[in-house]
Amino acid sequence: MMERRDKISNELLLYQKLINYVFLSLVFIVMVIPMVNVVVISTSTALDAGQAGLKLWWTKFSLEGYEYVFRVTKLGRPFLNSVYVSFASTFIQVILSSLAGYILVQRELPFRRAITAFILVTMMIPGDLTLISIYQVNKQLSLLNSYTGLIVNGLISGFCILLMRNYFLSVPESLAESARLDGAGELKIFRSIYLPLSIPGLATIFFLEFVGKWNSLMIPATLITDQSLFTLPLMLKSMIINYSSVSGAPPAPDNAVMAAIVISTIPLILIYIFAQRFLLSGITLGASKE
Amino acid sequence: MSAGILWRRIRKYKFIYALFLPIALYFIVFSYYPLALGIINSFRKSKLIGAPEFVGLANYKEVLLNPLYADAFVNTVIVGVGTFVVQFIFGLLIALSLTEIKSNIVKSSVQSVTYLPNLLSWAIVGGMWIKILAPSGMANGFLQLLKGSGFTPVVFMAEPKYARAIMIFTGAWKGAGYFAVLFIAAIVSINSAIYEAASIDGASRIKQIFYITIPNLVPTMKVIVVLGSMGVLRNFDQIFVMGNSTIYDKIRNLLYLIYTDGIVNFKVGLATAAATLVLIATLLLSSIVRRMTKYDETYN
Repeated sequence: MMERRDKISNELLLYQKLINYVFLSLVFIVMVIPMVNVVVISTSTALDAGQAGLKLWWTKFSLEGYEYVFRVTKLGRPFLNSVYVSFASTFIQVILSSLAGYILVQRELPFRRAITAFILVTMMIPGDLTLISIYQVNKQLSLLNSYTGLIVNGLISGFCILLMRNYFLSVPESLAESARLDGAGELKIFRSIYLPLSIPGLATIFFLEFVGKWNSLMIPATLITDQSLFTLPLMLKSMIINYSSVSGAPPAPDNAVMAAIVISTIPLILIYIFAQRFLLSGITLGASKE
Repeated sequence: MSAGILWRRIRKYKFIYALFLPIALYFIVFSYYPLALGIINSFRKSKLIGAPEFVGLANYKEVLLNPLYADAFVNTVIVGVGTFVVQFIFGLLIALSLTEIKSNIVKSSVQSVTYLPNLLSWAIVGGMWIKILAPSGMANGFLQLLKGSGFTPVVFMAEPKYARAIMIFTGAWKGAGYFAVLFIAAIVSINSAIYEAASIDGASRIKQIFYITIPNLVPTMKVIVVLGSMGVLRNFDQIFVMGNSTIYDKIRNLLYLIYTDGIVNFKVGLATAAATLVLIATLLLSSIVRRMTKYDETYN
Protein backbone atom coordinates (compact mmCIF):
# COMPACT_ATOMS: atom_id res chain seq x y z
CA MET A 1 0.00 0.00 0.00
CA MET A 2 2.73 2.45 1.04
CA GLU A 3 4.71 1.59 -2.05
CA ARG A 4 1.83 2.35 -4.35
CA ARG A 5 1.37 5.72 -2.72
CA ASP A 6 5.02 6.52 -3.20
CA LYS A 7 4.61 5.88 -6.88
CA ILE A 8 1.89 8.51 -7.25
CA SER A 9 3.73 11.00 -9.38
CA ASN A 10 3.33 14.58 -8.24
CA GLU A 11 2.79 16.01 -11.70
CA LEU A 12 0.18 17.60 -13.89
CA LEU A 13 -2.13 15.37 -15.92
CA LEU A 14 -1.19 14.83 -19.53
CA TYR A 15 -3.65 17.33 -21.01
CA GLN A 16 -2.66 19.91 -18.42
CA LYS A 17 0.98 19.40 -19.36
CA LEU A 18 0.05 19.93 -22.99
CA ILE A 19 -1.71 23.21 -22.21
CA ASN A 20 1.32 24.24 -20.20
CA TYR A 21 3.70 23.50 -23.06
CA VAL A 22 1.49 25.34 -25.55
CA PHE A 23 1.39 28.40 -23.28
CA LEU A 24 5.14 28.41 -22.76
CA SER A 25 5.78 27.93 -26.47
CA LEU A 26 3.59 30.92 -27.24
CA VAL A 27 5.40 33.02 -24.65
CA PHE A 28 8.73 31.88 -26.05
CA ILE A 29 7.70 32.75 -29.60
CA VAL A 30 6.36 36.20 -28.65
CA MET A 31 9.60 36.93 -26.81
CA VAL A 32 12.05 35.52 -29.34
CA ILE A 33 10.56 36.51 -32.69
CA PRO A 34 11.12 40.27 -32.28
CA MET A 35 14.74 39.58 -31.28
CA VAL A 36 15.31 37.34 -34.32
CA ASN A 37 13.72 40.00 -36.49
CA VAL A 38 16.15 42.64 -35.20
CA VAL A 39 19.19 40.44 -35.74
CA VAL A 40 18.08 39.51 -39.27
CA ILE A 41 17.39 43.12 -40.27
CA SER A 42 20.72 44.27 -38.83
CA THR A 43 22.56 41.75 -41.00
CA SER A 44 20.62 42.41 -44.20
CA THR A 45 21.31 44.91 -46.97
CA ALA A 46 19.73 48.36 -46.60
CA LEU A 47 17.51 47.52 -49.58
CA ASP A 48 16.18 44.26 -48.09
CA ALA A 49 15.76 45.86 -44.65
CA GLY A 50 13.41 48.46 -46.10
CA GLN A 51 11.21 45.93 -47.91
CA ALA A 52 7.95 44.71 -46.46
CA GLY A 53 7.85 41.19 -45.08
CA LEU A 54 8.42 39.04 -42.00
CA LYS A 55 12.21 39.20 -42.15
CA LEU A 56 12.80 36.21 -39.94
CA TRP A 57 15.40 34.84 -42.35
CA TRP A 58 17.97 36.41 -44.62
CA THR A 59 17.43 37.13 -48.30
CA LYS A 60 21.04 38.19 -48.43
CA PHE A 61 23.42 38.27 -45.49
CA SER A 62 25.32 41.53 -45.25
CA LEU A 63 27.22 43.48 -42.61
CA GLU A 64 26.78 46.84 -44.30
CA GLY A 65 24.49 48.05 -41.48
CA TYR A 66 27.33 47.58 -38.98
CA GLU A 67 29.76 49.27 -41.33
CA TYR A 68 27.36 52.20 -41.76
CA VAL A 69 26.91 52.58 -38.02
CA PHE A 70 30.62 52.92 -37.39
CA ARG A 71 31.55 54.86 -40.54
CA VAL A 72 28.62 57.28 -40.92
CA THR A 73 26.87 57.41 -37.54
CA LYS A 74 30.20 57.09 -35.70
CA LEU A 75 28.78 54.90 -32.96
CA GLY A 76 32.26 54.12 -31.62
CA ARG A 77 32.42 57.30 -29.58
CA PRO A 78 29.07 56.91 -27.79
CA PHE A 79 29.89 53.25 -27.20
CA LEU A 80 33.17 54.12 -25.47
CA ASN A 81 31.45 56.96 -23.57
CA SER A 82 28.89 54.47 -22.23
CA VAL A 83 31.57 51.95 -21.30
CA TYR A 84 33.60 54.57 -19.43
CA VAL A 85 30.70 56.22 -17.62
CA SER A 86 28.99 52.96 -16.69
CA PHE A 87 32.10 51.26 -15.35
CA ALA A 88 33.36 54.26 -13.43
CA SER A 89 30.06 55.04 -11.74
CA THR A 90 29.20 51.40 -11.01
CA PHE A 91 32.59 50.82 -9.44
CA ILE A 92 32.23 53.83 -7.14
CA GLN A 93 28.61 52.91 -6.40
CA VAL A 94 29.59 49.42 -5.20
CA ILE A 95 32.28 50.81 -2.89
CA LEU A 96 30.13 53.58 -1.41
CA SER A 97 26.98 51.45 -1.03
CA SER A 98 28.82 48.72 0.78
CA LEU A 99 30.49 51.25 3.08
CA ALA A 100 27.12 52.81 3.82
CA GLY A 101 25.57 49.38 4.35
CA TYR A 102 28.34 48.62 6.80
CA ILE A 103 27.55 51.79 8.74
CA LEU A 104 23.94 50.67 9.07
CA VAL A 105 24.83 47.34 10.69
CA GLN A 106 26.80 48.89 13.57
CA ARG A 107 24.36 47.80 16.21
CA GLU A 108 25.48 50.19 18.94
CA LEU A 109 26.16 53.19 16.74
CA PRO A 110 24.49 56.25 18.27
CA PHE A 111 21.98 57.90 15.88
CA ARG A 112 21.93 54.78 13.70
CA ARG A 113 18.16 55.04 13.32
CA ALA A 114 18.43 58.68 12.25
CA ILE A 115 21.07 57.74 9.68
CA THR A 116 18.90 54.89 8.39
CA ALA A 117 15.93 57.24 8.12
CA PHE A 118 18.08 59.82 6.33
CA ILE A 119 18.90 57.19 3.69
CA LEU A 120 15.39 55.70 3.53
CA VAL A 121 13.84 59.10 2.85
CA THR A 122 16.05 59.54 -0.24
CA MET A 123 14.44 56.37 -1.62
CA MET A 124 11.06 58.03 -1.39
CA ILE A 125 12.20 61.09 -3.35
CA PRO A 126 11.91 59.89 -6.93
CA GLY A 127 14.86 61.34 -8.86
CA ASP A 128 12.69 61.67 -11.96
CA LEU A 129 10.42 64.15 -10.19
CA THR A 130 13.24 66.43 -9.11
CA LEU A 131 14.70 66.37 -12.61
CA ILE A 132 14.31 70.10 -13.22
CA SER A 133 16.09 70.97 -9.99
CA ILE A 134 18.70 68.29 -10.71
CA TYR A 135 19.34 70.13 -13.96
CA GLN A 136 19.76 73.42 -12.07
CA VAL A 137 22.06 71.84 -9.48
CA ASN A 138 24.22 70.40 -12.23
CA LYS A 139 24.29 73.77 -13.91
CA GLN A 140 25.39 75.47 -10.69
CA LEU A 141 28.14 72.86 -10.23
CA SER A 142 29.18 73.18 -13.92
CA LEU A 143 28.45 69.51 -14.50
CA LEU A 144 26.41 69.98 -17.67
CA ASN A 145 28.04 68.40 -20.72
CA SER A 146 30.76 66.66 -18.73
CA TYR A 147 31.75 63.08 -17.98
CA THR A 148 31.84 63.96 -14.29
CA GLY A 149 28.19 64.96 -14.48
CA LEU A 150 27.26 61.67 -16.08
CA ILE A 151 29.20 59.72 -13.45
CA VAL A 152 28.17 61.69 -10.38
CA ASN A 153 24.40 61.77 -10.93
CA GLY A 154 22.90 58.64 -9.41
CA LEU A 155 26.23 57.71 -7.85
CA ILE A 156 24.73 56.32 -4.63
CA SER A 157 21.32 54.78 -4.22
CA GLY A 158 19.42 54.01 -1.07
CA PHE A 159 18.32 50.76 -2.64
CA CYS A 160 21.87 49.43 -3.02
CA ILE A 161 22.74 50.52 0.50
CA LEU A 162 19.80 48.61 1.94
CA LEU A 163 20.64 45.58 -0.15
CA MET A 164 24.20 45.53 1.18
CA ARG A 165 22.93 46.13 4.69
CA ASN A 166 20.77 43.03 4.40
CA TYR A 167 23.74 40.97 3.25
CA PHE A 168 25.87 42.27 6.07
CA LEU A 169 23.20 41.42 8.62
CA SER A 170 23.70 37.76 7.80
CA VAL A 171 27.37 38.00 8.75
CA PRO A 172 27.71 36.64 12.31
CA GLU A 173 28.54 39.54 14.56
CA SER A 174 30.72 37.34 16.75
CA LEU A 175 33.24 37.24 13.89
CA ALA A 176 33.52 41.02 13.83
CA GLU A 177 33.57 41.16 17.64
CA SER A 178 36.46 38.73 17.97
CA ALA A 179 38.40 40.56 15.28
CA ARG A 180 37.82 43.78 17.18
CA LEU A 181 39.16 42.15 20.35
CA ASP A 182 42.24 41.18 18.37
CA GLY A 183 42.72 44.87 17.64
CA ALA A 184 41.51 45.00 14.02
CA GLY A 185 40.35 48.42 12.81
CA GLU A 186 36.92 49.05 11.31
CA LEU A 187 38.21 49.18 7.74
CA LYS A 188 40.02 45.90 8.19
CA ILE A 189 36.93 44.21 9.63
CA PHE A 190 34.92 45.56 6.75
CA ARG A 191 37.43 44.45 4.15
CA SER A 192 38.43 41.07 5.47
CA ILE A 193 35.21 39.85 7.10
CA TYR A 194 32.15 41.59 5.74
CA LEU A 195 33.10 42.02 2.08
CA PRO A 196 34.32 38.45 1.41
CA LEU A 197 31.15 37.04 2.98
CA SER A 198 28.93 39.26 0.84
CA ILE A 199 30.28 38.64 -2.64
CA PRO A 200 26.90 37.62 -4.07
CA GLY A 201 25.51 40.90 -2.78
CA LEU A 202 28.36 42.89 -4.31
CA ALA A 203 27.87 41.08 -7.61
CA THR A 204 24.14 41.74 -7.46
CA ILE A 205 24.48 45.48 -7.01
CA PHE A 206 27.29 45.65 -9.54
CA PHE A 207 25.09 43.90 -12.07
CA LEU A 208 21.94 45.92 -11.33
CA GLU A 209 23.77 49.22 -11.32
CA PHE A 210 25.80 48.57 -14.42
CA VAL A 211 22.65 47.72 -16.35
CA GLY A 212 20.89 50.79 -14.96
CA LYS A 213 23.77 53.08 -15.90
CA TRP A 214 24.24 51.51 -19.32
CA ASN A 215 20.54 52.03 -20.06
CA SER A 216 20.11 55.43 -18.41
CA LEU A 217 18.35 57.82 -20.75
CA MET A 218 16.63 60.53 -18.73
CA ILE A 219 19.70 61.97 -16.97
CA PRO A 220 21.95 62.02 -20.08
CA ALA A 221 19.08 63.53 -22.07
CA THR A 222 18.87 66.28 -19.46
CA LEU A 223 22.57 66.95 -18.94
CA ILE A 224 24.12 66.38 -22.35
CA THR A 225 23.67 68.42 -25.51
CA ASP A 226 27.22 68.05 -26.83
CA GLN A 227 27.14 65.19 -29.33
CA SER A 228 30.70 64.08 -28.53
CA LEU A 229 29.48 63.17 -25.02
CA PHE A 230 26.40 61.23 -26.15
CA THR A 231 25.96 57.87 -24.50
CA LEU A 232 24.64 54.90 -26.46
CA PRO A 233 20.96 55.28 -25.46
CA LEU A 234 21.04 58.97 -26.43
CA MET A 235 22.62 58.14 -29.77
CA LEU A 236 20.07 55.37 -30.36
CA LYS A 237 17.25 57.71 -29.50
CA SER A 238 18.49 60.31 -31.98
CA MET A 239 18.89 57.62 -34.66
CA ILE A 240 15.33 56.44 -34.04
CA ILE A 241 13.95 59.97 -34.26
CA ASN A 242 15.82 60.66 -37.47
CA TYR A 243 14.49 57.46 -38.80
CA SER A 244 10.87 58.32 -38.15
CA SER A 245 11.12 61.94 -39.29
CA VAL A 246 10.51 62.97 -42.85
CA SER A 247 12.83 65.91 -43.33
CA GLY A 248 16.27 66.88 -42.07
CA ALA A 249 19.49 64.90 -42.25
CA PRO A 250 19.39 61.66 -44.19
CA PRO A 251 18.13 59.09 -41.68
CA ALA A 252 20.13 55.97 -41.04
CA PRO A 253 18.73 52.98 -42.96
CA ASP A 254 16.82 50.30 -41.01
CA ASN A 255 19.69 47.86 -41.05
CA ALA A 256 21.97 50.46 -39.45
CA VAL A 257 19.43 51.32 -36.70
CA MET A 258 19.00 47.63 -35.92
CA ALA A 259 22.78 47.13 -35.97
CA ALA A 260 23.12 49.91 -33.39
CA ILE A 261 20.47 48.16 -31.29
CA VAL A 262 22.32 44.84 -31.48
CA ILE A 263 25.60 46.54 -30.56
CA SER A 264 24.03 48.20 -27.49
CA THR A 265 22.52 44.87 -26.45
CA ILE A 266 25.65 42.70 -26.63
CA PRO A 267 27.32 43.99 -23.43
CA LEU A 268 24.04 43.45 -21.56
CA ILE A 269 23.79 39.86 -22.78
CA LEU A 270 27.41 39.23 -21.82
CA ILE A 271 26.96 40.65 -18.35
CA TYR A 272 23.74 38.67 -17.96
CA ILE A 273 25.46 35.39 -18.87
CA PHE A 274 28.35 36.21 -16.58
CA ALA A 275 26.38 37.55 -13.62
CA GLN A 276 23.25 35.36 -13.70
CA ARG A 277 24.93 32.82 -11.41
CA PHE A 278 25.60 35.49 -8.78
CA LEU A 279 22.21 37.08 -9.17
CA LEU A 280 20.24 33.87 -8.75
CA SER A 281 22.37 32.70 -5.82
CA GLY A 282 21.83 36.16 -4.32
CA ILE A 283 18.07 35.90 -4.71
CA THR A 284 17.84 32.40 -3.23
CA LEU A 285 20.07 33.41 -0.33
CA GLY A 286 17.79 36.33 0.39
CA ALA A 287 14.71 34.13 0.14
CA SER A 288 15.96 31.31 2.35
CA LYS A 289 17.32 33.54 5.08
CA GLU A 290 14.00 34.19 6.80
CA MET B 1 21.60 56.83 28.91
CA SER B 2 23.71 59.60 30.36
CA ALA B 3 25.42 62.18 28.17
CA GLY B 4 28.88 60.92 29.15
CA ILE B 5 28.22 57.39 27.96
CA LEU B 6 26.66 58.65 24.76
CA TRP B 7 29.66 60.86 24.10
CA ARG B 8 32.07 57.99 24.69
CA ARG B 9 30.11 55.82 22.25
CA ILE B 10 30.08 58.55 19.63
CA ARG B 11 33.85 58.88 19.98
CA LYS B 12 34.26 55.16 19.65
CA TYR B 13 32.46 55.32 16.31
CA LYS B 14 34.09 58.50 14.98
CA PHE B 15 35.63 56.61 12.08
CA ILE B 16 32.19 55.32 11.06
CA TYR B 17 30.80 58.85 11.13
CA ALA B 18 33.69 60.00 8.94
CA LEU B 19 32.74 57.28 6.43
CA PHE B 20 29.18 58.50 6.44
CA LEU B 21 30.18 62.08 5.62
CA PRO B 22 30.66 61.78 1.83
CA ILE B 23 27.49 59.72 1.57
CA ALA B 24 25.50 62.31 3.48
CA LEU B 25 27.00 65.06 1.35
CA TYR B 26 25.97 63.27 -1.83
CA PHE B 27 22.39 62.80 -0.68
CA ILE B 28 22.14 66.41 0.46
CA VAL B 29 23.38 67.80 -2.86
CA PHE B 30 21.61 65.40 -5.21
CA SER B 31 18.48 64.44 -3.26
CA TYR B 32 17.47 66.81 -0.50
CA TYR B 33 18.61 70.08 -2.04
CA PRO B 34 16.91 69.46 -5.43
CA LEU B 35 13.75 68.51 -3.57
CA ALA B 36 13.79 71.78 -1.61
CA LEU B 37 14.75 73.78 -4.68
CA GLY B 38 11.86 72.26 -6.62
CA ILE B 39 9.37 73.14 -3.91
CA ILE B 40 10.69 76.72 -3.71
CA ASN B 41 10.58 77.12 -7.49
CA SER B 42 7.02 75.86 -7.59
CA PHE B 43 5.99 79.07 -5.81
CA ARG B 44 7.93 81.33 -8.17
CA LYS B 45 7.72 82.50 -11.72
CA SER B 46 11.05 82.78 -13.48
CA LYS B 47 11.65 85.81 -15.64
CA LEU B 48 14.00 86.42 -18.51
CA ILE B 49 15.63 89.32 -16.66
CA GLY B 50 16.06 89.73 -12.93
CA ALA B 51 15.25 87.55 -9.94
CA PRO B 52 12.27 85.20 -10.04
CA GLU B 53 9.08 86.58 -8.60
CA PHE B 54 7.08 84.95 -5.81
CA VAL B 55 3.63 84.08 -7.14
CA GLY B 56 2.08 82.02 -4.35
CA LEU B 57 -0.08 79.17 -5.51
CA ALA B 58 -0.51 80.50 -9.06
CA ASN B 59 1.58 77.73 -10.63
CA TYR B 60 -0.42 75.06 -8.80
CA LYS B 61 -3.65 76.63 -9.97
CA GLU B 62 -2.37 76.68 -13.52
CA VAL B 63 -1.42 72.99 -13.35
CA LEU B 64 -4.80 71.98 -11.98
CA LEU B 65 -6.69 74.01 -14.57
CA ASN B 66 -4.47 73.00 -17.48
CA PRO B 67 -6.25 70.36 -19.61
CA LEU B 68 -2.87 69.03 -20.80
CA TYR B 69 -2.08 68.00 -17.24
CA ALA B 70 -5.50 66.44 -16.77
CA ASP B 71 -5.00 64.42 -19.95
CA ALA B 72 -1.50 63.44 -18.87
CA PHE B 73 -2.92 62.21 -15.57
CA VAL B 74 -5.48 60.02 -17.36
CA ASN B 75 -2.78 58.68 -19.71
CA THR B 76 -0.47 57.94 -16.80
CA VAL B 77 -3.12 55.95 -14.98
CA ILE B 78 -4.46 54.01 -17.98
CA VAL B 79 -1.09 53.09 -19.48
CA GLY B 80 0.58 52.60 -16.10
CA VAL B 81 -2.10 50.44 -14.48
CA GLY B 82 -2.74 48.58 -17.73
CA THR B 83 0.93 47.69 -18.10
CA PHE B 84 1.20 46.65 -14.47
CA VAL B 85 -1.83 44.34 -14.61
CA VAL B 86 -0.75 42.60 -17.83
CA GLN B 87 2.80 42.29 -16.57
CA PHE B 88 1.65 40.89 -13.23
CA ILE B 89 -0.64 38.26 -14.78
CA PHE B 90 1.94 37.09 -17.30
CA GLY B 91 4.75 37.16 -14.74
CA LEU B 92 2.72 34.91 -12.45
CA LEU B 93 1.58 32.57 -15.23
CA ILE B 94 5.10 32.19 -16.59
CA ALA B 95 6.46 31.45 -13.11
CA LEU B 96 3.76 28.87 -12.31
CA SER B 97 4.10 27.32 -15.71
CA LEU B 98 7.91 27.05 -15.60
CA THR B 99 7.74 25.39 -12.19
CA GLU B 100 5.92 22.43 -13.75
CA ILE B 101 8.63 21.92 -16.37
CA LYS B 102 11.13 19.17 -15.57
CA SER B 103 13.65 19.83 -18.32
CA ASN B 104 16.29 22.26 -17.12
CA ILE B 105 17.19 23.39 -20.62
CA VAL B 106 13.60 24.37 -21.43
CA LYS B 107 13.27 26.05 -18.06
CA SER B 108 16.41 28.15 -18.24
CA SER B 109 15.98 29.10 -21.88
CA VAL B 110 12.40 30.32 -21.42
CA GLN B 111 13.39 32.14 -18.25
CA SER B 112 16.40 33.80 -19.90
CA VAL B 113 14.44 34.86 -22.93
CA THR B 114 11.58 36.35 -20.92
CA TYR B 115 13.95 38.11 -18.52
CA LEU B 116 16.32 39.51 -21.14
CA PRO B 117 14.16 42.47 -22.36
CA ASN B 118 14.00 43.71 -18.79
CA LEU B 119 17.74 44.37 -19.03
CA LEU B 120 17.42 46.40 -22.20
CA SER B 121 16.90 50.14 -22.22
CA TRP B 122 13.79 51.69 -23.72
CA ALA B 123 16.05 53.12 -26.41
CA ILE B 124 16.65 49.52 -27.49
CA VAL B 125 13.18 48.04 -26.92
CA GLY B 126 11.39 51.13 -28.26
CA GLY B 127 13.55 51.26 -31.37
CA MET B 128 12.92 47.60 -31.97
CA TRP B 129 9.14 47.83 -31.71
CA ILE B 130 8.94 51.04 -33.75
CA LYS B 131 10.55 49.10 -36.59
CA ILE B 132 8.36 46.01 -36.05
CA LEU B 133 5.21 48.16 -36.13
CA ALA B 134 6.33 50.26 -39.10
CA PRO B 135 4.57 49.83 -42.47
CA SER B 136 7.46 47.68 -43.70
CA GLY B 137 7.84 45.90 -40.37
CA MET B 138 7.15 42.41 -39.13
CA ALA B 139 3.65 43.11 -37.72
CA ASN B 140 2.44 44.14 -41.16
CA GLY B 141 4.29 41.16 -42.60
CA PHE B 142 2.10 38.88 -40.49
CA LEU B 143 -1.09 40.71 -41.45
CA GLN B 144 -0.06 40.43 -45.09
CA LEU B 145 0.29 36.65 -44.68
CA LEU B 146 -3.12 36.41 -43.04
CA LYS B 147 -5.03 38.69 -45.36
CA GLY B 148 -3.26 37.99 -48.62
CA SER B 149 -2.65 40.44 -51.45
CA GLY B 150 -4.45 43.76 -51.74
CA PHE B 151 -3.68 44.50 -48.12
CA THR B 152 -2.66 48.03 -47.21
CA PRO B 153 -0.12 48.19 -44.38
CA VAL B 154 -1.26 49.70 -41.07
CA VAL B 155 0.89 52.56 -39.75
CA PHE B 156 0.55 51.36 -36.14
CA MET B 157 2.71 54.04 -34.58
CA ALA B 158 0.64 56.83 -36.16
CA GLU B 159 -2.78 55.52 -35.08
CA PRO B 160 -3.98 57.15 -31.85
CA LYS B 161 -6.44 54.29 -31.30
CA TYR B 162 -3.62 51.73 -31.00
CA ALA B 163 -1.22 53.95 -29.07
CA ARG B 164 -2.13 52.97 -25.51
CA ALA B 165 -2.44 49.28 -26.33
CA ILE B 166 1.01 49.39 -27.92
CA MET B 167 2.51 51.04 -24.84
CA ILE B 168 0.86 48.50 -22.54
CA PHE B 169 1.90 45.54 -24.67
CA THR B 170 5.52 46.64 -25.12
CA GLY B 171 5.75 47.59 -21.44
CA ALA B 172 4.54 44.15 -20.39
CA TRP B 173 6.74 42.46 -23.01
CA LYS B 174 9.71 44.16 -21.43
CA GLY B 175 8.74 43.67 -17.79
CA ALA B 176 6.88 40.37 -17.36
CA GLY B 177 10.10 38.36 -17.11
CA TYR B 178 11.25 40.41 -14.14
CA PHE B 179 8.08 39.68 -12.19
CA ALA B 180 8.39 36.02 -13.23
CA VAL B 181 11.89 35.88 -11.74
CA LEU B 182 10.62 37.31 -8.45
CA PHE B 183 7.78 34.77 -8.36
CA ILE B 184 10.09 31.87 -9.27
CA ALA B 185 12.50 32.79 -6.49
CA ALA B 186 9.58 32.70 -4.05
CA ILE B 187 8.23 29.39 -5.38
CA VAL B 188 11.66 27.76 -5.03
CA SER B 189 11.75 28.70 -1.37
CA ILE B 190 8.41 27.04 -0.52
CA ASN B 191 9.01 24.01 1.68
CA SER B 192 8.76 20.93 -0.55
CA ALA B 193 7.48 18.82 2.36
CA ILE B 194 4.14 20.65 2.07
CA TYR B 195 3.76 19.43 -1.50
CA GLU B 196 4.75 15.90 -0.53
CA ALA B 197 2.23 15.83 2.29
CA ALA B 198 -0.50 17.17 -0.01
CA SER B 199 0.31 14.66 -2.69
CA ILE B 200 0.21 11.77 -0.20
CA ASP B 201 -3.18 13.05 0.91
CA GLY B 202 -4.26 12.76 -2.70
CA ALA B 203 -4.32 16.41 -3.79
CA SER B 204 -3.79 16.77 -7.52
CA ARG B 205 -1.00 18.96 -8.82
CA ILE B 206 -3.49 21.63 -9.96
CA LYS B 207 -5.00 21.70 -6.48
CA GLN B 208 -1.53 22.07 -4.97
CA ILE B 209 -0.90 25.07 -7.21
CA PHE B 210 -4.10 26.75 -6.07
CA TYR B 211 -3.93 25.82 -2.40
CA ILE B 212 -0.18 25.80 -1.72
CA THR B 213 1.79 27.73 -4.31
CA ILE B 214 -0.48 30.73 -4.80
CA PRO B 215 -1.21 31.38 -1.09
CA ASN B 216 2.55 31.15 -0.44
CA LEU B 217 3.15 33.77 -3.12
CA VAL B 218 0.99 36.41 -1.41
CA PRO B 219 3.95 38.14 0.30
CA THR B 220 5.77 38.34 -3.05
CA MET B 221 2.63 39.71 -4.67
CA LYS B 222 2.57 42.44 -2.06
CA VAL B 223 6.17 43.38 -2.83
CA ILE B 224 5.32 43.49 -6.52
CA VAL B 225 2.24 45.65 -5.96
CA VAL B 226 4.30 48.11 -3.92
CA LEU B 227 7.04 48.14 -6.59
CA GLY B 228 4.43 48.52 -9.32
CA SER B 229 2.51 51.33 -7.65
CA MET B 230 5.72 53.37 -7.66
CA GLY B 231 6.53 52.38 -11.22
CA VAL B 232 3.16 53.56 -12.58
CA LEU B 233 4.13 57.20 -12.11
CA ARG B 234 7.71 56.83 -13.21
CA ASN B 235 7.51 55.81 -16.82
CA PHE B 236 9.47 58.42 -18.75
CA ASP B 237 11.80 56.56 -21.08
CA GLN B 238 9.15 54.59 -22.92
CA ILE B 239 7.14 57.65 -23.92
CA PHE B 240 10.32 59.65 -24.61
CA VAL B 241 11.46 57.03 -27.12
CA MET B 242 8.22 55.70 -28.58
CA GLY B 243 6.06 58.83 -28.60
CA ASN B 244 5.47 60.90 -31.71
CA SER B 245 3.30 63.91 -32.47
CA THR B 246 0.39 61.91 -33.90
CA ILE B 247 -0.09 59.83 -30.75
CA TYR B 248 1.13 62.06 -27.91
CA ASP B 249 -2.42 63.01 -26.94
CA LYS B 250 -3.12 59.40 -25.98
CA ILE B 251 0.11 58.54 -24.21
CA ARG B 252 1.84 61.70 -22.98
CA ASN B 253 2.19 61.07 -19.25
CA LEU B 254 2.88 63.37 -16.31
CA LEU B 255 6.60 62.78 -16.16
CA TYR B 256 7.02 63.43 -19.86
CA LEU B 257 4.89 66.56 -19.75
CA ILE B 258 6.86 67.87 -16.76
CA TYR B 259 10.09 67.23 -18.65
CA THR B 260 8.94 69.05 -21.79
CA ASP B 261 7.55 71.97 -19.78
CA GLY B 262 10.53 72.30 -17.46
CA ILE B 263 13.57 71.42 -19.57
CA VAL B 264 12.41 72.11 -23.13
CA ASN B 265 9.97 75.02 -22.68
CA PHE B 266 11.70 76.58 -19.62
CA LYS B 267 8.41 76.86 -17.68
CA VAL B 268 10.24 75.99 -14.46
CA GLY B 269 7.54 77.23 -12.10
CA LEU B 270 4.75 75.31 -13.78
CA ALA B 271 6.80 72.12 -14.15
CA THR B 272 8.07 72.12 -10.57
CA ALA B 273 4.54 72.72 -9.26
CA ALA B 274 3.34 69.73 -11.26
CA ALA B 275 6.30 67.66 -10.05
CA THR B 276 5.54 68.57 -6.44
CA LEU B 277 1.93 67.50 -6.88
CA VAL B 278 2.99 64.19 -8.40
CA LEU B 279 5.49 63.71 -5.59
CA ILE B 280 2.76 64.20 -2.98
CA ALA B 281 0.51 61.82 -4.91
CA THR B 282 3.32 59.25 -5.06
CA LEU B 283 3.89 59.42 -1.32
CA LEU B 284 0.17 59.14 -0.61
CA LEU B 285 -0.26 56.28 -3.04
CA SER B 286 2.67 54.33 -1.68
CA SER B 287 1.59 54.79 1.92
CA ILE B 288 -1.95 53.68 1.03
CA VAL B 289 -0.64 50.65 -0.84
CA ARG B 290 1.74 49.81 1.97
CA ARG B 291 -1.07 50.01 4.49
CA MET B 292 -3.47 48.01 2.34
CA THR B 293 -0.96 45.24 1.74
CA LYS B 294 0.37 45.46 5.31
CA TYR B 295 3.77 45.67 3.61
CA ASP B 296 5.67 47.11 6.56
CA GLU B 297 4.43 44.48 8.97
CA THR B 298 5.79 41.79 6.69
CA TYR B 299 9.07 43.40 5.74
CA ASN B 300 10.39 45.56 8.53
